[in-house]
Amino acid sequence: MAMNVVVCVKQIPDPAAPSSLDPGTKTLNRSGKLILDDSDSYGVEMALQLAGNVEGSEVTLVSMAPGGEVSGLRTALAMGAARAILVSDDSLAGSDALSTAKVLAAAIRRAEPDLVIAATESTDGYTGTLPVQVAELLGLPSVTFAKSVATDGRNLKVERQTEAGYDEVECPLPAVVTVTAGVVEPRYPSFKGIMAAKSKPVETLTVSDLGLDASQVGWAGARQEITDVSEAEARSAGEVVVDEGDGAERIVAFLEQVKVV
Amino acid sequence: MDFAESEEHELLRSATGEIARRFGHDYFVQQARSSGSSGELWQAIADQGFLGAHLPEAYGGGGGGISELTIVCEETATQGCPLLLILVSAAICAELIARFGTDGQKAAWLPGLVAGEKMAFAITEPDAGSNSHRLGTTARRDGDLYVLKGTKTFISGVDEASRLLVVTRTGTDEESGRGRLSLFVVDADAPGLTRQRIPVEMTIPEKQFTLFFDDVEVPADRLLGQEHEGLRVVFHGLNPERITGAAIGNGIGRYALAKAAAYANDRSVWGVPIATHQGIAHPLATAKVELELARLMTAKAAWLHDHDPGSAAAGEAANMAKYAAAEAALHCLDVAIQTHGGNGMTTEFGLADLWGLARLLRIAPVSREMILNFVAGHSLGLAKSY
Repeated sequence: MAMNVVVCVKQIPDPAAPSSLDPGTKTLNRSGKLILDDSDSYGVEMALQLAGNVEGSEVTLVSMAPGGEVSGLRTALAMGAARAILVSDDSLAGSDALSTAKVLAAAIRRAEPDLVIAATESTDGYTGTLPVQVAELLGLPSVTFAKSVATDGRNLKVERQTEAGYDEVECPLPAVVTVTAGVVEPRYPSFKGIMAAKSKPVETLTVSDLGLDASQVGWAGARQEITDVSEAEARSAGEVVVDEGDGAERIVAFLEQVKVV
Repeated sequence: MDFAESEEHELLRSATGEIARRFGHDYFVQQARSSGSSGELWQAIADQGFLGAHLPEAYGGGGGGISELTIVCEETATQGCPLLLILVSAAICAELIARFGTDGQKAAWLPGLVAGEKMAFAITEPDAGSNSHRLGTTARRDGDLYVLKGTKTFISGVDEASRLLVVTRTGTDEESGRGRLSLFVVDADAPGLTRQRIPVEMTIPEKQFTLFFDDVEVPADRLLGQEHEGLRVVFHGLNPERITGAAIGNGIGRYALAKAAAYANDRSVWGVPIATHQGIAHPLATAKVELELARLMTAKAAWLHDHDPGSAAAGEAANMAKYAAAEAALHCLDVAIQTHGGNGMTTEFGLADLWGLARLLRIAPVSREMILNFVAGHSLGLAKSY
């Protein structure tokens, strides 16, 4: 059965470049060029693989970003997604996770998805709450921390990562699933994919296009407030162990101490 | 005029860079020192269709141009993995087959080259370095065959190639005494073809060879382009080779300056990072200016080649780009090593091992002096001595 797979993708400041906080709003400075959040590339790959298994299936990207930013979307389109929906609106500045979820849910609903895939959390915000909020707003079941995803077009089979191992979870579609970085190995875009990306449709929507009111989103609608930010504690230098023939044992002892082995 | 990089080019840059970063300079050096090849990295780049970016879509290529291949060259080199064989296999051989090959030849060879097969290019000879008119390797027609005889030297990557594109003499122009040239695609394992490795002081995976053609029989359908018209064919491959050669230099320059900037900001000897000393900062800044000028001319040359191949403007820009990029690469590497002090010469910091290749770029694909001759004669109209 052909599936319409939606992937939530976030476009974030390049983590390799120095980042800064706006001292006024205490939020991340997003004025520069944004790129595809690496953690979303796993979801895009998962979606492409699931859609690729069934003829007629299609992957749609949904993103919310300032300034009509599409750089990160183009990367995912070059990987093979068919189209994208971008919500970009000045009134969205300052949106908290719940407001963002409302916006994304409204955009996702337009795409009439059979399956919605998201990362477990973004690499710049790390709240990790958005996907389940989206699921709740859409009235869909949500399965989190998937390390493996399979579907027959009606049901979803997920291996859900836990501390001890994994749970086998099944649920009916449509559903929202969050995938971990281990779920699949993201492909690099091919030359043909890169050349095709520019001509793929990106529908750009405003808040009012989604039937939402500006007072529900952005600073106006935010129910959380960042009251203070402080410098991260400098990491200590760590312990240097000189190998006097017992290096291997010392490493094992350390790993045992932190309960890795 | 528009100097903004297109989204496609940005994506190609980032994708190539990410793939090459996964391998990295340590891999590159390890392959070079162990007499290995750049095979895995090469294949990873080929798998994305990047080595055929400039080739026709009908034969599996990307339908782009040398501008795109230049990006692939530069970005791999920027990650410390300069791939010399892109110049040879993709920029010369595949380009010439796409331009001059029959439909049958294109169908036979281009899909393989797109998929990562390698083709070596054999033109230079012991007694005819930069002077192609004097080539001594002959191809004699014998029924349905040509029989090749002679010696080629400084031929890169023959051990990794499945075939070679060989430039031969099929006659002599009686008026000028210059060779009439013809090109043949020869199997690397053809009977009568032997090779001898030339030890060189370059830390790169590709090896250099002298080739001996001892009555090597080549079917007549391996002739690329018109018989005796090979010089015209060869000339069409020179600009792509120079432009991609420039891109390798530009990539080495970026690699070196990135390492130097990181080191200068990190290294503190007199209580402040050494980057704050103008004795460190200004040489790096000067090299950066030269590098960006070289990159600009390289992009222009690639654009001109893609829009008006064989034009005088494309030839001039390709020569100037190659000159500027080779000089910039050496300068960037030199100041990067100087910035690192003693560490600049260590294996760990991965700079000094690139010196051999960067230095080669001042000699090949065309020497600095031959470029200056060209600019003097063609660009300035100065009288020629030869």
